[in-house]
Amino acid sequence: MRHPTLRPVRRNSGRTASQRRFVLGVTFPTILYAAAFSLLPIVWALALMFFEYSPGRAGGAILGLGGDNPFVGLEHFRNMVVGMSREARLFRVSLRNTLVFAFAVLPLNLAITLPLAALIESVRGRLKTAFRAIYFLPAVTSSVGVAMMWGFIYDPQKGLLNAVIRLIGGTPIAWLSDPRTKFLGISVALWAVIAAYLWQDFGYNLVIFIAALQGIPHEFKEAAMVDGASPLQVFLKITVPLLRPTLLFVCVMTMLSSFQVFDIIQVMTDGGPNYQTHVLVLDIYNNAFRYQRMGWAAAGSFVLTVVVMLITIFQMRLLRTEWEY
Amino acid sequence: MDRKVLLIGFVLLLVVSLVACGPSATETPATEEAGAAETAPPEGAGPGGISLRMWAHQNPAFNAGYQALIEAYQSAHPDVTIALETFDYDTYIQTLQTAMPAGEEADIIQLFGTWTSEYAGRLAPAPEDVMTVEEAQDLFYAAPIGGFIVDGVLYGLPQEFNMEYGGVLVNKTLYEQAGLPYPPQWETMEDVLRDAQALVQTDETGMMTVAGFHFTASDPASFSFLAGILQHGGDYWNADHTGFTFNTPEARATLEWMVSAVEEWGVVDPVLFNDEENWVGQAFFESRVAIGYIGAWAIAEGRANYPDFPDEWDYFYLPPMVEGSDPLFVADSGWGLAVSPNSQHQDVAWDFVKFVAANVDNARQWNIASGTIPAIPEVAESDEIAAAMPWVPRALEILPYGRYLGSMPDRDLVIYEIVYPHILNTLQGVETVDEALEAIDAEANATFE
Repeated sequence: MRHPTLRPVRRNSGRTASQRRFVLGVTFPTILYAAAFSLLPIVWALALMFFEYSPGRAGGAILGLGGDNPFVGLEHFRNMVVGMSREARLFRVSLRNTLVFAFAVLPLNLAITLPLAALIESVRGRLKTAFRAIYFLPAVTSSVGVAMMWGFIYDPQKGLLNAVIRLIGGTPIAWLSDPRTKFLGISVALWAVIAAYLWQDFGYNLVIFIAALQGIPHEFKEAAMVDGASPLQVFLKITVPLLRPTLLFVCVMTMLSSFQVFDIIQVMTDGGPNYQTHVLVLDIYNNAFRYQRMGWAAAGSFVLTVVVMLITIFQMRLLRTEWEY
Repeated sequence: MDRKVLLIGFVLLLVVSLVACGPSATETPATEEAGAAETAPPEGAGPGGISLRMWAHQNPAFNAGYQALIEAYQSAHPDVTIALETFDYDTYIQTLQTAMPAGEEADIIQLFGTWTSEYAGRLAPAPEDVMTVEEAQDLFYAAPIGGFIVDGVLYGLPQEFNMEYGGVLVNKTLYEQAGLPYPPQWETMEDVLRDAQALVQTDETGMMTVAGFHFTASDPASFSFLAGILQHGGDYWNADHTGFTFNTPEARATLEWMVSAVEEWGVVDPVLFNDEENWVGQAFFESRVAIGYIGAWAIAEGRANYPDFPDEWDYFYLPPMVEGSDPLFVADSGWGLAVSPNSQHQDVAWDFVKFVAANVDNARQWNIASGTIPAIPEVAESDEIAAAMPWVPRALEILPYGRYLGSMPDRDLVIYEIVYPHILNTLQGVETVDEALEAIDAEANATFE
């Protein structure tokens, strides 16, 4: 028998019944929406990754699982690691390309956006707004449009880039279709896609950095100047360290979006030449919607989630701060 | 109380969604559905009428041909209304693959014959009073009808002879500029390569600006490869058609010929001219290809998409790849029409399919509208076809040598993701002939697993 005083006390939310009904009424549609279009697909994908499932096959009695869509346990994951089948090798190629893409995009993005943000922040008046708008414009442009525009720029015969190269007496190359050309051991086609992606994406981080720079109290910089620090020293020793919380956010978000890259690559190269720009989401898409290998695609999605999660945890540990200003 | 309501609502939503998203676990036999159609009132029909939906992939010439025949059928059957719904190619495949398991496909489905074996379990067999297998084999060429017959059952009627082998678009203007005799006088493939070599144009940096002979897109490269194997006396199927045999001397000889066309003759730069870059159906109509290897279906599409193309051009057929051989080749079953077993008016749907595909006059009308080679010999040999499509009589000599490609577990995967990429890799110099053949053989056979 439990002592009456030890009974758990139910916390009173302080809301009246009508208030609770109101809260329920306004949140229920959103909850339904999230459940139908986020939670349910996640649950379904988690189940599918243990099956060799194709919606084209009738399968078993429960949701088409079993029967012609057999349970395979962890077989997909084993194949992804050690399998020699075409899809296993393509998966590993796509994972490697995705890692190269993400780890190239992040430093390049930071190298462009951080100094540029500092420069724009130092500009006074309306010019600052104009610069911010100009650099942000590509970010609000359709990815397909951006991909097509860069496709024209990279066109080997009529493209702008090769026209410039011809003008200065260089040898034009097939930027997006030559599997033999490499730079720093990475396919030129992948570099070309990275450049297009950076052009479209860096506006987001630029705006975030500008906002963060505006939030740094001037007293810190002025104190450093009084102590004889040069502008470069102020930027490196004062501004950059104080931007650490923002850097963490930018790194995590940039890494996330880089791992999810799909549309720009599908339009520009469709994974070619010779799978050198074949990234993980494209591989998942092809398996799921071209070849109806939903089980394999679900397992690939799970791996993508785990990889992104691990990298995010690593970034958060590396860049976390325990101070505020 | 509120939490209970929320929880119950949430659980209900999950259950309903799971049931709605999942495929039906049991297949209703087509015959039962047909029987039900006779007794059940027509669903979605207008007052006293029957409404059917038809799905097709987006192709302006094809769709115009369908629309004209739909209107003709509706005029003859005022109680029937047929709505044509079209999808771009990739979306169409995905729509079929997701809608058919859910039983939500249209009554009449445009189907690529080679896909039939993948979908046979979800298609209505043709009733005998519409057409028997024997009647179909008598009416149509072997290659187009081959795909629509699965395990001795007829699942649809073909509308075209989808011949990707042997046909080329030839730019007369470029021929004349190069000082070559026109029309081309080709006895052997060496004659073709000689012309093509003279037609190549490059810029000041050596980059190819006009390909002499563009054979490096997916369809021509793959179907030339398969034809070459046959013409060398080999086969890419094993004896009982349960596996592929791509790593053979015949396949090696064919691939080596392709490599020599690129490396020794220099008729095309496969890095600049392939499926992704300068696709033949586009590059030809932009004067960047002199001889463009592509199926005759590209003619109508080219005319529709490039009405202002200034160059003079025509369509010809190549000599056999192997000197002295018959022009043996394989062909897909091509586009045709099938009927959903879930249609409540299968009898009307089949009547329409027969009206479009088996009626000689209507088939001719559709082939002329779509610019495709007829699937019915009587239509292909008609004067009207010869007048409207002068390249068809040129094809008549080789059409009888066409064999059905064969039912594969996943035709697009084998042709477009396995055979073609390895051929292209070899031509681009990133794989050797032996590496490519080994890879094609292993990967294609893995599709049976």
